[in-house]
Order: sequence, then C-alpha cells, then structure tokens
Amino acid sequence: MSARRFLQPSVLPGFGLTFGFTTFFLSAVVLIPLAALVVKAASMHWTDFLSVVLSRRALGAYRLSFGASLLAATINLGFGFLTAWTLVRYRFPGRAFIDALIDLPFALPTAVSGIALTSVFSPTGPLGRPLAQAGIQVAYTWIGVTVALTLIGLPFLVRTIQPALTEIQRDLEDAAETLGAGRLYTFRRIILPALAPALLTGFAMAFARGVGEYGSVIFISGNLPMKTEIAPLLIVIHLEEFDYAGAAALGVVMLVMSFIGLLAINLLQAWGRRRIASAR
Amino acid sequence: MSITLDQITKRYQGVPVVNDVSIDIQEGEFFVLLGSSGSGKSTLLRAIAGLTGVDHGRISLHGRDVTHVAARARGVGLVFQNYALFRHMTVADNIEFALRVRRVKALERRRRRAELLRLVALEGMDQRLPAQLSGGQQQRVAVARALAHNPEVLLLDEPFGALDAKIREELRRTIRQVQRELGITTILVTHDQDEAFALADRIGVMNLGRLLEVGRPEDLYARPATRFVATFLGAANLLLARRGTRGINFGGGPVIPRVSDGPAPGREQEVVTVLRPEEIELAADREALGCSYMDAGTVEEVLSVGALERIRVRLTGAAAAQLLSAGEERAILDVTRTRHEQRVFPVAAGQHVAIGVRRLHVLSTPLSSFTACAPDEGGARALSRQPLLVELAARMNTRVSARVEPQLGVGEPAPGGSPATCIGCAVVAARRESGRDIAWLLQGGAESVLVLPRDTPAPRRVLIHWEDEEVRRATLAASASLLRHLAAEAIYIGILPGGSTDAQRPVGMRSLLDARSEAQAVHGLDMRTELRFGEVAAELSQRLAEAPDQLLILGISGIDSLTARFALLFADPARPVLVIHQPGSGRDHHPGAQPQAAGSERHGPDRTLAGAAQTAGGPA
Repeated sequence: MSARRFLQPSVLPGFGLTFGFTTFFLSAVVLIPLAALVVKAASMHWTDFLSVVLSRRALGAYRLSFGASLLAATINLGFGFLTAWTLVRYRFPGRAFIDALIDLPFALPTAVSGIALTSVFSPTGPLGRPLAQAGIQVAYTWIGVTVALTLIGLPFLVRTIQPALTEIQRDLEDAAETLGAGRLYTFRRIILPALAPALLTGFAMAFARGVGEYGSVIFISGNLPMKTEIAPLLIVIHLEEFDYAGAAALGVVMLVMSFIGLLAINLLQAWGRRRIASAR
Repeated sequence: MSITLDQITKRYQGVPVVNDVSIDIQEGEFFVLLGSSGSGKSTLLRAIAGLTGVDHGRISLHGRDVTHVAARARGVGLVFQNYALFRHMTVADNIEFALRVRRVKALERRRRRAELLRLVALEGMDQRLPAQLSGGQQQRVAVARALAHNPEVLLLDEPFGALDAKIREELRRTIRQVQRELGITTILVTHDQDEAFALADRIGVMNLGRLLEVGRPEDLYARPATRFVATFLGAANLLLARRGTRGINFGGGPVIPRVSDGPAPGREQEVVTVLRPEEIELAADREALGCSYMDAGTVEEVLSVGALERIRVRLTGAAAAQLLSAGEERAILDVTRTRHEQRVFPVAAGQHVAIGVRRLHVLSTPLSSFTACAPDEGGARALSRQPLLVELAARMNTRVSARVEPQLGVGEPAPGGSPATCIGCAVVAARRESGRDIAWLLQGGAESVLVLPRDTPAPRRVLIHWEDEEVRRATLAASASLLRHLAAEAIYIGILPGGSTDAQRPVGMRSLLDARSEAQAVHGLDMRTELRFGEVAAELSQRLAEAPDQLLILGISGIDSLTARFALLFADPARPVLVIHQPGSGRDHHPGAQPQAAGSERHGPDRTLAGAAQTAGGPA
C-alpha cells in the first residue's frame, strides 16, 4: 500500500532516489554518530552507567540545562512574539536594521556572545552593577545561564513567528472588531490560535538549542558543580578526564530527554494541526 | 435617514483619498459605491465601519453620530473581498462569533445560527471548516457571520472579487435576496458596473476620492452629468460639439436639431456630447437613415459578441476632429447593433456608411476643451504641451488645441481689435500682464481663461471666490468640472469688507452656506468654506501665499474688475488662476439659469436631446 505512494511522480527525480539519499545522509550525519554514542555508553557496566548519570552532580546539571532552556524558551515566546509583531506590523526608520540584528546570535561565535554577556552582566559590568545593588546577581548564577540561552534562542522564535504573522490578514482583526470583539478577545481567539503552530515550532527549536548550548553559557555561568554547571560542560569535563564512556553515558541521557521533549512538541503540533484541519 | 455622511475627508500623507464626500442613504436602501481602484471607495467604506478614522466630517447611522465611536460599537456588519473567515473555527463558530462576544446563551446562539444558515442557503454546513468550503460558500458564511448580531447596516467590500463568473451571479442573487428579506440598509463597494446595475437601488460613482454623481442606475446611464460617469458607466463616444439656437453640430457638419425643451442657449457654446454606441444608426446613405444624419464613415472592424455586434467606424467627415476618444486611436466611433439591425443592414469592414444619431446627451460641463493661446506659434504649442494641462486634458477626456493670438503678450492689446471668437476654456501663460491677456480673451467671448505658470504642479487645494452672486452659478459649474478631475480639496473663500459690523457677519455666513449647499445640490461638489474680512484681492493673495500648490478659481462679473480689483492676484506669475466670466451676466442669462428641477437630485435639468427621429430627412 505504501509502495503506491512511493511511486507518485513529483518534481524531484523519483521517490526511490530521494529517499535513498535522505536515509544515507541522515545515517552518515545523524544516526550513525548517535548510534556510536549509544554503543560507547553500552560498553559500560550498567551500575557504572547509573552511577555516572544519576550522580548528584549530573542531576544538578540536567536540572540547570533543561530548566534554564525551558525558562529561556518561555521568555522568548513572549519576547520573540513582541519583536516579530513590531517588525511585521509597523514601519519605522531602522526597521531593516533591527530585522538584521535579530540574526546576529546565529552568526556570532557563541563564545563571543558569552564573553559579551559576562562583561555586561558581571557585578562590575554596566548592567550587572545596578542589578547587583538591587540584590540580583546575574552572572555566575542560573539567571545568567537563562539570559545567555534567551539571547541564543531569540532568533528561532522571531524567525518562525514572522512568516506566520505576515500571513494573518489584517482583515481578520478588522472582521473581529466589526463583530464586536475587543482587542484582548481578538488576540486570544483569533491571533493566538492562528500563531500557535509557529509559536510551538519556535519554542521547540529554541529549547533544543538551549539544551545543547555550550559556548555562550560557560563564561557567564561560573560553572560551580551542582549549582551553575550545565550538562554539556559536565560532558566536556568527563572528556577532559579521558572518561569517554562517562561522557557518552551523559550524552545518551541528554539525547533521550531531548528527543522525548521534541517528540512531545511535534505530536502536540500535529494534534493541533489536525484540529485546525490544515487551515491552508 | 439610515446612513448620513457629511463632508467626509480622509487624507494619506496630505493627499485626500476621500475628499469631502456627503451622502444620505435611506432606510433599507441598497447603495453601490462604484469606482476604479484607488478612487477611495474602500477607504470610505472602512470609515463607515469605523476601521479608519476620518480627518474631517461626520458619520451618522440612524441619526446617531458615530464619527468617534469604535468599530465594535457601531453595529455594522462588514464582508470582505477575501472572506476573512476565522480558519481555525467551524462555520458554526464563525457565525456565532459576534454572539459569543456578546455572551448570548447557547440555545439562542444555535437558533440564530440555524436561521442565518437558512438565509444564505448553507443548511447543514455547521461543522465544516472554512477550508472545506468553496469560495462562494465561504463568502456566504462571511455574510451570515456579518449579520449575526443584527447590525443596522451591512457593508460589503468587493464581496465577489475573488469568485468566478457563475458563482458570482449566484451569490449576487443571494445577497440581494437576503438584503430584501431583512430590509437592511446596505452599501456595496465594487469596480464592476454590471454588479452595480444588478444590485443597486442607487449608485454613487467615485473618482479620485470624490463622489461624482449619485442616482438610480438607469438615470446615471441615460443622463450622466460628467464625462467620467458617462464613460465609466457603460461605453460612450464623447464628441465636442457646438450648440446653437438651432441645434447641435459637430464641427461644421450638419445640424442635429434640438427637440428637448431645455433652456435655449443665448449664443453658440461648445459642449460635450455623449453618444451611446447603441444610439448610433448605420445606413447605406443619408436618405436611408431613420434618424438625424451626423457624418460619413468607413467601417474598420466588425466583431460579433453573441447577441450584439460591435462595430468600429472611422469618421471621415467634419465630426472626425470632434471625437474625444481616449488613447491613440482618434476618429473611431464605437457602435453596437442588435441582431435585428444587423439583418436590416449588414456591414463589412471597409464599407462606407452614413452615420445617424438616435439620441444624444449633452453634458453640462463648462470646461469642454482647452485652447492654448500665445502670441506666436511656438509659444502656443509649448503651452499646449504644459504637463499639468496635458494631464488635465487627459483626465477630463478632452483635447488641447493651440492657437496663435498675436495681440497677446504685446503689453497693451490694441484697443478695438477684437480677437477671434474663443470657444471652450482659453489657456494663457502666466506673466505679469496676465490680467490684460485675460481681459482680451474674455472680450473675444471666452467664458473661462486659465492662467498657467510654466512648471506648476497639480494643485493640492483649490480656492474658489466669486465677485458677486451673478457669477456664482457659472463659477461653481466650472469649479465642479475641474475638481472632479483633481485630487484636491476645494475651499470657498467668502470675503466681507474689513470694517464689517457684527450685524453683517450672519449675512456673510449665510452666503457661505448658500454657496456650499448649491455646490452640493447642483454639482455634487462638496467644498469647505472660509470667511475672511478685508480687501478682496489682498485677502485672496494672502491666502494663496499661505501654502504651495494652490489654484484660484475666480468668478468675475465685469471684465473691468480684472484690472480694477484683482490686479494684485496676477502680480505673482507663479500662480495658476482660472478666471470665470459670465458674458452679459445679469438679465439675459440669469433668469433662465436653470432652476433646479424638482425631484432631480442634482446636476441640473435634463438636457438630453431625444427623438431626433421625428425630423428624419433632416436638417438643411
């Protein structure tokens, strides 16, 4: 039955060929390395494995990595939406400039962002000092980690929301208004549902990126074990101690957790899409 | 009065896109706003809905002033060209949206939904999503949704734009039916004249932000008042003609006698005539025509379009030069003939034919054509190519001819030497002595003279003033004629003498209001008014200096006053001025000056010449 679908003609030369290439490259670039990781981890005895991945230090690192990523992605949900809204809905001088600025975190070596953030938010930095005086320490705490991950994740949200927002016609809001809806009602009932898939995708991407982020975080986090040490750093530490198996074990755990998270978001999205019944 | 618009103006970056529009729409009326894209019709509709604010004017719905009321509180239903359905909601949820917002109980919502779905013939579609419906069905849902909260007014913005012809017609019928059944006051915006004819109780034609004419479809078609409406509603051949006491003739050709009983013109005038393609008769020769002979011609092209036959005939006689065809192809007359006519006298390309006119409509437009006058041929030709003039002529669908007038520009024209008769609107280059040039042309019989500086841009504002009430009518007519083709705002300036007492002020105010209401009633021209105090020329001059890109329309009753009172206005040769003069204003013209026919909404009496057939065999 699925063979028939494979044979459907399309622009690209044949399903067989494209599918073959897809699986080949996916294998070479993604699946085989990941499998190697699992194999490496499997070389450990399961008690060793558990002691590594369930160590207090490792648990602290997971909590920080996943927690801060989740928080940063959530912040970006609001922040990214506002930015995208401003860029799509208004015409102002410097708009193109700001639009280009959004992508900078993509282009910059992450270490550069990390160093920049640290210098700004350290207790002697221009933003860190007033914050410290107010009793909020940003650098070298989980707050700093979240700030770094927010910076890194922003473009994902903005860039996924932007096209979706452009597609929402002004007329929809006008229609809602003539029907008597207030702004908040229109936003809740019209704009948000239409944007939901884009918001979820952006959120998932920002979250995934946050979990794997290394360069920009290690400078601002302070790397105190169990407090401000992120999971990727813990993996690097294991590697530096030539404990390849331990590093692989942590990697597998992160892999599984990330995969579950992303799968959940994808399923949620598919469910939403089915509910909207492919609005386009 | 269900919807009343009073001098609505909306500007974008200083340019009026809706320009002083006033309409009264009756309870239960189906009103169609017709115009090409960019005419301001959609902006006006959005203003009525409350989605766009206005810069000036008032909007009332059922006597309630809603100018500053938010869209959600206006009680209007709006239907968009692209449906604007909420795609993540079912048909039921879409329709109930307005009811949910108002916290209507579920039972009542369901009842109302069923009623609306029946109205738009979509029973049983409740649980579909918009994406599962065809375009026509989606638009039906949009109509039902817009009606859910029992709005007082239904607004439709090009609702059929995205649909194909057959669905369009079906939906058109549904909408008309729904409108009748509910008796809801409706405004529909469209660029499609068929749609307007099919649906409208009344049509309002918009162009460049102005509402040019309002009337019942058949009246607008038969008796348009403006060139724009004549050509926009249906096909029309426009010809310049001279109207004298005996009738109308096209450039020295035979005279088509006037049969209607309009006021007889005091002297020969240039007019613009409208010839509908179906009112033209073709025959083998003059004697075989059943109506007044107009000219000879050669058939260029015959095109059969179903029931009708479209023929393009090249005029070969004197009338050829009078034809105001748009575009390159001059002297081509469009003719349509029924099957019956085709059988009686079949034609083929290349054939010589006699052309007759069954029915002719004369437009009451004062600026019939432009004649650029200069002392030498080069000057006249250069002036006739002045960009603003060319642009104006193109928009007004008329022509610019060049004429050498050696007496112009020599300082003081020789006294007594009378210039050749001037017809249409004369144009002269602006110079310090423009006052004298104008006087000279007016003596020659010109009724209007436009003074044009070399590089003047299109005016953004037109100031109107007349010397005394005797020229009011002529000045207003010319102003309306010009302003229909300009995206400019009109302001009438009334001026009282500097030492006016308080007792005189109400008189001044009243004359302003009179002027405004006459412009509105007779010409469909809305203008603003301003009252100033002081010496007339000085005040006008000062007002002109206040902003760039202004044009002054000045009505004068005596030629002497040009130099005696208004010399100051021509001192600055950078200013465009249109001078209107009513020759012999006073007794011989004024009484007959077209009293407003009762019942006719605006635009003066019926000047259609009809039934020319009675005089078959025709004029000498």
